[in-house]
Amino acid sequence: MKFGFLAAGLAAALATAAIAQDAEDPFADAVEARHGLMLLMAQNLGTLGSMAKGETAYDSAVAGKAADNIAALASVLGMDQFPAGSEYGKSADSFALPAIWTDQTDFVSKITALNEASNAMTADAKKDLASLKAGMNSVGGACSACHKAYRQPEE
Amino acid sequence: MKRVLLGLVLLTAAGVAAFLVVTWPKRGDAVALGQLGGDPARGETLFWAGGCASCHADPKAEGDARLVLSGGMRLPTPFGTFAVPNISPDPLQGIGNWTLADFEGALRHGTSPDGKHYYPSFPYTSYAHASDQDVVDLWAYLQTLPLSNRPNDPHELGFPFNQRLLLGGWKFLNLSTAWAVPDPLTPEEERGRYLVEGFGHCGECHTPRNALGGRDMARWLAGGPNPEGKGSIPNITPAKLDWSDADIAEYLKSGFTPDYDSAGAQMADVVTNISHLPDSDRLAIAAYLKKVPPQN
Repeated sequence: MKFGFLAAGLAAALATAAIAQDAEDPFADAVEARHGLMLLMAQNLGTLGSMAKGETAYDSAVAGKAADNIAALASVLGMDQFPAGSEYGKSADSFALPAIWTDQTDFVSKITALNEASNAMTADAKKDLASLKAGMNSVGGACSACHKAYRQPEE
Repeated sequence: MKRVLLGLVLLTAAGVAAFLVVTWPKRGDAVALGQLGGDPARGETLFWAGGCASCHADPKAEGDARLVLSGGMRLPTPFGTFAVPNISPDPLQGIGNWTLADFEGALRHGTSPDGKHYYPSFPYTSYAHASDQDVVDLWAYLQTLPLSNRPNDPHELGFPFNQRLLLGGWKFLNLSTAWAVPDPLTPEEERGRYLVEGFGHCGECHTPRNALGGRDMARWLAGGPNPEGKGSIPNITPAKLDWSDADIAEYLKSGFTPDYDSAGAQMADVVTNISHLPDSDRLAIAAYLKKVPPQN
Protein backbone atom coordinates (compact mmCIF):
# COMPACT_ATOMS: atom_id res chain seq x y z
CA MET A 1 0.00 0.00 0.00
CA LYS A 2 3.10 2.22 0.17
CA PHE A 3 2.34 5.10 -2.18
CA GLY A 4 -0.49 2.91 -3.47
CA PHE A 5 -2.75 5.58 -4.88
CA LEU A 6 0.01 7.67 -6.41
CA ALA A 7 1.96 4.67 -7.63
CA ALA A 8 -1.17 3.29 -9.29
CA GLY A 9 -1.75 6.66 -10.87
CA LEU A 10 1.85 6.89 -12.02
CA ALA A 11 1.84 3.34 -13.38
CA ALA A 12 -1.37 4.12 -15.21
CA ALA A 13 0.17 7.36 -16.46
CA LEU A 14 3.20 5.49 -17.77
CA ALA A 15 1.01 2.83 -19.35
CA THR A 16 -1.15 5.46 -20.98
CA ALA A 17 1.94 7.35 -22.08
CA ALA A 18 3.08 4.22 -23.90
CA ILE A 19 -0.32 3.81 -25.55
CA ALA A 20 -0.44 7.53 -26.19
CA GLN A 21 2.41 7.32 -28.67
CA ASP A 22 0.00 5.42 -30.89
CA ALA A 23 -3.27 7.05 -29.85
CA GLU A 24 -1.68 10.50 -29.50
CA ASP A 25 -3.40 11.29 -26.20
CA PRO A 26 -2.61 15.01 -25.92
CA PHE A 27 -2.82 14.89 -22.09
CA ALA A 28 -0.58 11.94 -21.32
CA ASP A 29 2.56 14.00 -20.64
CA ALA A 30 0.76 16.58 -18.52
CA VAL A 31 -0.94 13.94 -16.37
CA GLU A 32 2.30 12.03 -15.98
CA ALA A 33 4.13 15.21 -15.03
CA ARG A 34 1.66 16.17 -12.30
CA HIS A 35 1.53 12.66 -10.87
CA GLY A 36 5.34 12.67 -10.79
CA LEU A 37 5.34 15.99 -8.96
CA MET A 38 2.87 14.66 -6.39
CA LEU A 39 4.91 11.49 -5.88
CA LEU A 40 8.09 13.49 -5.32
CA MET A 41 6.25 15.68 -2.81
CA ALA A 42 5.01 12.56 -1.02
CA GLN A 43 8.54 11.17 -0.80
CA ASN A 44 9.90 14.35 0.74
CA LEU A 45 6.91 14.64 3.07
CA GLY A 46 7.66 11.08 4.12
CA THR A 47 11.11 12.17 5.31
CA LEU A 48 9.52 14.93 7.39
CA GLY A 49 6.60 12.81 8.56
CA SER A 50 8.75 10.05 10.00
CA MET A 51 10.43 12.71 12.15
CA ALA A 52 7.07 14.23 13.11
CA LYS A 53 5.79 10.81 14.19
CA GLY A 54 8.98 10.04 16.11
CA GLU A 55 9.95 7.12 13.87
CA THR A 56 13.29 8.75 13.02
CA ALA A 57 15.27 11.29 15.04
CA TYR A 58 14.87 14.95 14.12
CA ASP A 59 17.75 16.16 11.94
CA SER A 60 17.73 19.82 11.03
CA ALA A 61 19.81 19.43 7.85
CA VAL A 62 17.83 16.48 6.49
CA ALA A 63 14.50 18.11 7.33
CA GLY A 64 15.63 21.40 5.80
CA LYS A 65 16.61 19.71 2.54
CA ALA A 66 13.27 17.88 2.29
CA ALA A 67 11.35 21.09 3.00
CA ASP A 68 13.42 22.97 0.38
CA ASN A 69 12.58 20.23 -2.13
CA ILE A 70 8.85 20.52 -1.35
CA ALA A 71 8.95 24.30 -1.82
CA ALA A 72 10.77 23.85 -5.14
CA LEU A 73 8.27 21.23 -6.31
CA ALA A 74 5.36 23.48 -5.32
CA SER A 75 6.85 26.33 -7.37
CA VAL A 76 6.76 24.12 -10.47
CA LEU A 77 3.10 23.19 -9.98
CA GLY A 78 0.75 25.20 -12.17
CA MET A 79 -1.66 25.21 -15.08
CA ASP A 80 1.11 23.82 -17.34
CA GLN A 81 0.39 20.39 -15.86
CA PHE A 82 -3.37 20.95 -16.08
CA PRO A 83 -4.24 21.61 -19.73
CA ALA A 84 -7.98 22.06 -20.25
CA GLY A 85 -9.66 18.71 -20.85
CA SER A 86 -7.13 16.55 -18.97
CA GLU A 87 -9.90 15.59 -16.57
CA TYR A 88 -11.36 12.60 -14.79
CA GLY A 89 -13.35 10.46 -17.20
CA LYS A 90 -11.65 11.90 -20.29
CA SER A 91 -8.08 10.95 -19.54
CA ALA A 92 -8.05 7.37 -18.24
CA ASP A 93 -5.69 7.99 -15.34
CA SER A 94 -6.74 11.52 -14.42
CA PHE A 95 -8.45 12.36 -11.11
CA ALA A 96 -8.73 16.07 -11.94
CA LEU A 97 -12.24 17.48 -11.63
CA PRO A 98 -13.65 19.85 -14.30
CA ALA A 99 -14.05 22.58 -11.65
CA ILE A 100 -10.28 23.19 -12.04
CA TRP A 101 -11.03 24.96 -15.33
CA THR A 102 -14.44 26.44 -14.53
CA ASP A 103 -13.12 27.83 -11.23
CA GLN A 104 -9.53 28.37 -12.31
CA THR A 105 -8.89 31.51 -10.26
CA ASP A 106 -9.69 29.64 -7.07
CA PHE A 107 -7.65 26.60 -8.16
CA VAL A 108 -4.61 28.80 -8.80
CA SER A 109 -5.11 30.57 -5.46
CA LYS A 110 -4.92 27.17 -3.76
CA ILE A 111 -1.60 26.49 -5.51
CA THR A 112 -0.43 29.89 -4.27
CA ALA A 113 -1.51 28.90 -0.74
CA LEU A 114 0.56 25.70 -1.04
CA ASN A 115 3.57 27.77 -2.12
CA GLU A 116 3.16 30.10 0.86
CA ALA A 117 2.83 27.22 3.30
CA SER A 118 5.77 25.27 1.89
CA ASN A 119 7.99 28.36 1.73
CA ALA A 120 7.20 29.02 5.40
CA MET A 121 8.02 25.40 6.22
CA THR A 122 11.59 25.69 4.84
CA ALA A 123 12.49 27.82 7.87
CA ASP A 124 10.29 25.82 10.27
CA ALA A 125 11.85 22.51 9.30
CA LYS A 126 15.38 23.77 10.04
CA LYS A 127 14.39 25.27 13.39
CA ASP A 128 13.14 22.45 15.61
CA LEU A 129 10.74 19.51 15.72
CA ALA A 130 7.79 21.48 17.11
CA SER A 131 8.09 24.08 14.33
CA LEU A 132 8.40 21.33 11.73
CA LYS A 133 5.15 19.75 12.97
CA ALA A 134 3.37 23.10 12.79
CA GLY A 135 4.71 23.66 9.28
CA MET A 136 3.50 20.22 8.18
CA ASN A 137 0.03 21.09 9.47
CA SER A 138 -0.16 24.16 7.25
CA VAL A 139 1.17 22.32 4.22
CA GLY A 140 -1.21 19.42 4.87
CA GLY A 141 -4.08 21.88 5.09
CA ALA A 142 -3.11 23.35 1.71
CA CYS A 143 -2.91 19.86 0.12
CA SER A 144 -6.31 18.87 1.50
CA ALA A 145 -8.03 22.12 0.57
CA CYS A 146 -7.16 21.55 -3.08
CA HIS A 147 -7.79 17.80 -3.08
CA LYS A 148 -11.17 18.30 -1.45
CA ALA A 149 -12.34 20.74 -4.10
CA TYR A 150 -10.62 19.49 -7.23
CA ARG A 151 -9.79 15.79 -6.99
CA GLN A 152 -12.17 12.93 -7.73
CA PRO A 153 -12.26 10.71 -4.62
CA GLU A 154 -10.94 7.19 -5.05
CA GLU A 155 -13.81 4.75 -5.65
CA MET B 1 -68.78 -9.42 12.42
CA LYS B 2 -69.47 -5.96 13.78
CA ARG B 3 -67.75 -6.95 16.97
CA VAL B 4 -64.66 -8.13 15.11
CA LEU B 5 -64.59 -4.88 13.19
CA LEU B 6 -65.00 -2.82 16.36
CA GLY B 7 -62.27 -4.89 17.97
CA LEU B 8 -59.92 -4.20 15.06
CA VAL B 9 -60.65 -0.49 15.15
CA LEU B 10 -60.01 -0.36 18.89
CA LEU B 11 -56.85 -2.42 18.51
CA THR B 12 -55.57 -0.10 15.78
CA ALA B 13 -56.42 2.96 17.85
CA ALA B 14 -54.63 1.45 20.84
CA GLY B 15 -51.66 0.65 18.63
CA VAL B 16 -51.48 4.20 17.29
CA ALA B 17 -51.86 5.59 20.81
CA ALA B 18 -49.11 3.32 22.12
CA PHE B 19 -46.87 4.30 19.18
CA LEU B 20 -47.38 7.96 19.93
CA VAL B 21 -46.83 7.54 23.67
CA VAL B 22 -43.64 5.55 23.16
CA THR B 23 -42.29 7.69 20.33
CA TRP B 24 -43.44 11.20 21.32
CA PRO B 25 -40.58 13.73 20.95
CA LYS B 26 -38.53 13.74 24.14
CA ARG B 27 -36.09 16.06 25.84
CA GLY B 28 -33.93 15.98 28.94
CA ASP B 29 -34.03 17.42 32.45
CA ALA B 30 -33.50 21.16 31.94
CA VAL B 31 -33.34 21.97 35.65
CA ALA B 32 -30.29 19.79 36.28
CA LEU B 33 -28.48 21.27 33.27
CA GLY B 34 -29.29 24.84 34.30
CA GLN B 35 -27.27 24.36 37.48
CA LEU B 36 -24.07 23.74 35.51
CA GLY B 37 -22.06 26.76 34.41
CA GLY B 38 -21.08 26.84 30.73
CA ASP B 39 -17.42 27.29 29.74
CA PRO B 40 -17.17 28.63 26.16
CA ALA B 41 -13.45 27.77 25.89
CA ARG B 42 -14.18 24.08 26.55
CA GLY B 43 -17.16 24.45 24.26
CA GLU B 44 -14.91 25.52 21.39
CA THR B 45 -13.01 22.23 21.52
CA LEU B 46 -16.35 20.37 21.50
CA PHE B 47 -17.48 22.46 18.55
CA TRP B 48 -14.49 21.18 16.56
CA ALA B 49 -14.87 17.64 17.89
CA GLY B 50 -18.50 17.69 16.77
CA GLY B 51 -17.72 19.00 13.30
CA CYS B 52 -20.62 21.46 13.46
CA ALA B 53 -19.02 23.72 10.83
CA SER B 54 -18.76 20.90 8.27
CA CYS B 55 -22.49 21.13 7.61
CA HIS B 56 -23.66 24.38 9.19
CA ALA B 57 -21.03 26.75 7.73
CA ASP B 58 -21.16 27.80 4.10
CA PRO B 59 -19.60 24.90 2.11
CA LYS B 60 -17.05 27.29 0.55
CA ALA B 61 -16.08 28.97 3.83
CA GLU B 62 -12.48 28.75 5.01
CA GLY B 63 -10.73 30.00 8.15
CA ASP B 64 -12.79 32.19 10.48
CA ALA B 65 -15.67 32.23 7.99
CA ARG B 66 -16.36 28.64 9.14
CA LEU B 67 -17.59 30.12 12.43
CA VAL B 68 -20.59 31.68 10.68
CA LEU B 69 -23.14 28.89 11.01
CA SER B 70 -25.50 30.26 8.38
CA GLY B 71 -26.59 26.85 7.07
CA GLY B 72 -27.53 26.38 3.46
CA MET B 73 -25.63 23.23 2.57
CA ARG B 74 -27.79 20.60 0.86
CA LEU B 75 -27.48 16.92 1.74
CA PRO B 76 -28.78 14.63 -0.98
CA THR B 77 -29.85 11.22 0.40
CA PRO B 78 -31.96 8.27 -0.83
CA PHE B 79 -34.87 9.72 1.19
CA GLY B 80 -34.75 13.22 -0.30
CA THR B 81 -32.62 16.34 0.00
CA PHE B 82 -32.08 17.92 3.40
CA ALA B 83 -31.39 21.66 3.70
CA VAL B 84 -29.04 22.41 6.60
CA PRO B 85 -30.45 25.15 8.86
CA ASN B 86 -28.97 28.37 10.21
CA ILE B 87 -27.76 27.73 13.80
CA SER B 88 -26.01 31.07 14.29
CA PRO B 89 -27.16 33.09 17.36
CA ASP B 90 -29.41 35.24 15.15
CA PRO B 91 -32.71 35.53 17.08
CA LEU B 92 -34.89 35.45 13.97
CA GLN B 93 -33.25 33.06 11.49
CA GLY B 94 -30.88 31.21 13.82
CA ILE B 95 -31.16 29.78 17.33
CA GLY B 96 -30.64 33.03 19.25
CA ASN B 97 -34.01 32.68 20.99
CA TRP B 98 -33.43 29.13 22.14
CA THR B 99 -33.03 28.13 25.78
CA LEU B 100 -30.45 25.68 27.06
CA ALA B 101 -33.28 23.14 27.35
CA ASP B 102 -34.17 23.67 23.68
CA PHE B 103 -30.56 23.05 22.71
CA GLU B 104 -30.30 19.92 24.85
CA GLY B 105 -33.50 18.56 23.32
CA ALA B 106 -32.14 19.13 19.83
CA LEU B 107 -28.64 17.82 20.41
CA ARG B 108 -29.32 14.67 22.43
CA HIS B 109 -32.90 13.80 21.52
CA GLY B 110 -33.42 15.22 18.03
CA THR B 111 -36.40 17.22 19.30
CA SER B 112 -37.10 20.77 18.12
CA PRO B 113 -38.08 23.57 20.55
CA ASP B 114 -41.70 23.24 19.36
CA GLY B 115 -41.67 19.53 20.15
CA LYS B 116 -41.19 17.98 16.69
CA HIS B 117 -38.80 15.26 15.59
CA TYR B 118 -35.70 16.30 13.68
CA TYR B 119 -34.52 14.18 10.79
CA PRO B 120 -31.43 12.09 11.57
CA SER B 121 -29.45 13.90 8.86
CA PHE B 122 -28.66 15.89 12.02
CA PRO B 123 -26.56 13.22 13.80
CA TYR B 124 -28.27 13.31 17.19
CA THR B 125 -27.94 9.51 17.20
CA SER B 126 -24.25 10.23 17.98
CA TYR B 127 -24.62 13.48 19.92
CA ALA B 128 -26.94 11.58 22.30
CA HIS B 129 -23.71 10.46 24.01
CA ALA B 130 -22.76 14.04 24.97
CA SER B 131 -22.28 14.54 28.72
CA ASP B 132 -24.35 17.15 30.58
CA GLN B 133 -21.34 19.41 31.09
CA ASP B 134 -20.40 19.18 27.40
CA VAL B 135 -23.93 20.13 26.31
CA VAL B 136 -23.77 23.21 28.50
CA ASP B 137 -20.24 24.18 27.39
CA LEU B 138 -21.02 23.78 23.69
CA TRP B 139 -24.14 25.88 24.13
CA ALA B 140 -22.06 28.59 25.83
CA TYR B 141 -19.63 28.60 22.90
CA LEU B 142 -22.26 28.67 20.16
CA GLN B 143 -23.67 31.87 21.64
CA THR B 144 -20.32 33.62 21.10
CA LEU B 145 -20.35 33.02 17.32
CA PRO B 146 -21.22 35.62 14.63
CA LEU B 147 -24.84 36.16 13.60
CA SER B 148 -26.20 35.33 10.17
CA ASN B 149 -29.67 36.36 8.98
CA ARG B 150 -29.81 33.86 6.13
CA PRO B 151 -33.34 32.38 6.07
CA ASN B 152 -33.74 28.60 6.15
CA ASP B 153 -34.77 26.52 3.14
CA PRO B 154 -37.33 23.72 3.46
CA HIS B 155 -36.23 20.08 3.10
CA GLU B 156 -37.20 18.46 -0.20
CA LEU B 157 -38.79 15.17 0.83
CA GLY B 158 -41.57 13.10 -0.72
CA PHE B 159 -44.24 11.06 1.08
CA PRO B 160 -43.90 9.24 3.46
CA PHE B 161 -40.54 10.72 4.45
CA ASN B 162 -42.10 14.16 4.95
CA GLN B 163 -44.20 12.79 7.87
CA ARG B 164 -42.20 13.75 10.94
CA LEU B 165 -44.36 11.73 13.34
CA LEU B 166 -43.02 8.55 11.74
CA LEU B 167 -39.54 9.55 12.87
CA GLY B 168 -40.65 8.57 16.37
CA GLY B 169 -40.62 4.97 15.17
CA TRP B 170 -37.24 5.46 13.55
CA LYS B 171 -35.83 6.85 16.77
CA PHE B 172 -37.33 3.97 18.75
CA LEU B 173 -35.30 1.60 16.58
CA ASN B 174 -32.12 3.64 16.16
CA LEU B 175 -31.60 6.16 18.96
CA SER B 176 -29.71 4.67 21.89
CA THR B 177 -27.01 5.72 24.31
CA ALA B 178 -25.55 2.19 24.43
CA TRP B 179 -21.91 2.10 23.29
CA ALA B 180 -21.04 0.25 20.09
CA VAL B 181 -17.76 -0.92 21.63
CA PRO B 182 -18.49 -2.16 25.15
CA ASP B 183 -16.43 -1.96 28.32
CA PRO B 184 -13.88 -2.68 29.61
CA LEU B 185 -11.68 -0.01 28.05
CA THR B 186 -8.71 1.95 29.40
CA PRO B 187 -9.37 5.61 30.27
CA GLU B 188 -7.62 6.63 27.00
CA GLU B 189 -9.77 4.23 24.94
CA GLU B 190 -12.88 5.52 26.73
CA ARG B 191 -11.95 9.07 25.77
CA GLY B 192 -11.51 7.88 22.16
CA ARG B 193 -14.89 6.14 22.28
CA TYR B 194 -16.57 9.27 23.56
CA LEU B 195 -15.06 11.27 20.69
CA VAL B 196 -15.66 8.69 17.93
CA GLU B 197 -19.11 7.40 18.92
CA GLY B 198 -20.28 10.74 20.34
CA PHE B 199 -19.27 14.20 19.15
CA GLY B 200 -17.10 13.02 16.26
CA HIS B 201 -20.10 11.09 14.84
CA CYS B 202 -17.69 8.98 12.76
CA GLY B 203 -20.22 6.12 12.66
CA GLU B 204 -22.73 8.23 10.74
CA CYS B 205 -20.72 7.75 7.54
CA HIS B 206 -18.30 4.92 8.39
CA THR B 207 -21.04 2.51 9.52
CA PRO B 208 -23.27 1.15 6.74
CA ARG B 209 -27.02 1.80 6.91
CA ASN B 210 -29.93 -0.62 6.71
CA ALA B 211 -33.00 -0.26 4.48
CA LEU B 212 -34.65 2.09 6.98
CA GLY B 213 -31.63 4.35 7.10
CA GLY B 214 -30.50 3.24 10.56
CA ARG B 215 -26.90 2.36 11.28
CA ASP B 216 -26.15 -1.37 11.07
CA MET B 217 -24.57 -1.65 14.51
CA ALA B 218 -23.37 -5.20 13.81
CA ARG B 219 -21.07 -3.69 11.17
CA TRP B 220 -19.81 -0.79 13.27
CA LEU B 221 -17.30 1.36 11.29
CA ALA B 222 -17.09 -1.28 8.53
CA GLY B 223 -17.68 1.29 5.78
CA GLY B 224 -20.06 1.12 2.86
CA PRO B 225 -21.74 3.32 0.27
CA ASN B 226 -21.49 7.07 0.84
CA PRO B 227 -24.84 8.09 2.40
CA GLU B 228 -24.48 11.56 0.89
CA GLY B 229 -23.65 10.79 -2.70
CA LYS B 230 -21.34 8.83 -4.94
CA GLY B 231 -18.50 6.54 -3.99
CA SER B 232 -17.92 4.60 -0.83
CA ILE B 233 -16.73 5.26 2.70
CA PRO B 234 -13.77 3.18 3.89
CA ASN B 235 -13.83 0.43 6.48
CA ILE B 236 -11.86 1.76 9.49
CA THR B 237 -12.04 -1.36 11.67
CA PRO B 238 -8.67 -3.01 12.43
CA ALA B 239 -9.38 -5.56 9.66
CA LYS B 240 -8.74 -2.86 7.05
CA LEU B 241 -7.15 0.09 8.85
CA ASP B 242 -3.69 -1.22 9.69
CA TRP B 243 -2.07 2.15 10.40
CA SER B 244 -0.12 2.68 13.62
CA ASP B 245 -1.52 4.92 16.37
CA ALA B 246 0.98 7.61 15.30
CA ASP B 247 -0.17 7.28 11.66
CA ILE B 248 -3.83 7.75 12.63
CA ALA B 249 -3.04 10.71 14.89
CA GLU B 250 -0.92 12.36 12.18
CA TYR B 251 -3.65 11.85 9.58
CA LEU B 252 -6.21 13.52 11.84
CA LYS B 253 -3.85 16.45 12.41
CA SER B 254 -2.23 17.22 9.03
CA GLY B 255 -4.37 15.08 6.71
CA PHE B 256 -1.38 13.04 5.53
CA THR B 257 -1.81 9.29 5.09
CA PRO B 258 1.15 7.00 5.80
CA ASP B 259 1.86 7.21 2.02
CA TYR B 260 1.77 11.02 2.21
CA ASP B 261 -1.26 11.27 0.08
CA SER B 262 -3.65 13.76 1.69
CA ALA B 263 -7.24 13.67 2.86
CA GLY B 264 -9.83 14.73 0.32
CA ALA B 265 -13.62 14.90 0.04
CA GLN B 266 -15.51 15.01 3.36
CA MET B 267 -12.48 13.81 5.35
CA ALA B 268 -10.64 17.04 4.49
CA ASP B 269 -13.22 18.91 6.59
CA VAL B 270 -13.04 16.31 9.34
CA VAL B 271 -9.27 16.79 9.56
CA THR B 272 -9.65 20.58 9.61
CA ASN B 273 -11.99 20.16 12.59
CA ILE B 274 -10.11 17.45 14.49
CA SER B 275 -6.78 19.28 14.05
CA HIS B 276 -8.09 21.78 16.64
CA LEU B 277 -8.10 19.06 19.31
CA PRO B 278 -5.08 18.32 21.52
CA ASP B 279 -2.64 15.55 20.44
CA SER B 280 -3.87 13.41 23.36
CA ASP B 281 -7.38 13.31 21.86
CA ARG B 282 -6.13 12.19 18.44
CA LEU B 283 -4.08 9.43 20.09
CA ALA B 284 -7.16 8.46 22.12
CA ILE B 285 -9.16 8.12 18.90
CA ALA B 286 -6.40 5.90 17.51
CA ALA B 287 -6.35 3.77 20.68
CA TYR B 288 -10.12 3.34 20.49
CA LEU B 289 -10.08 2.37 16.79
CA LYS B 290 -7.76 -0.52 17.66
CA LYS B 291 -10.48 -1.86 20.00
CA VAL B 292 -13.25 -1.87 17.39
CA PRO B 293 -14.26 -5.43 16.40
CA PRO B 294 -12.60 -6.20 13.03
CA GLN B 295 -15.00 -6.49 10.09
CA ASN B 296 -14.15 -7.58 6.58
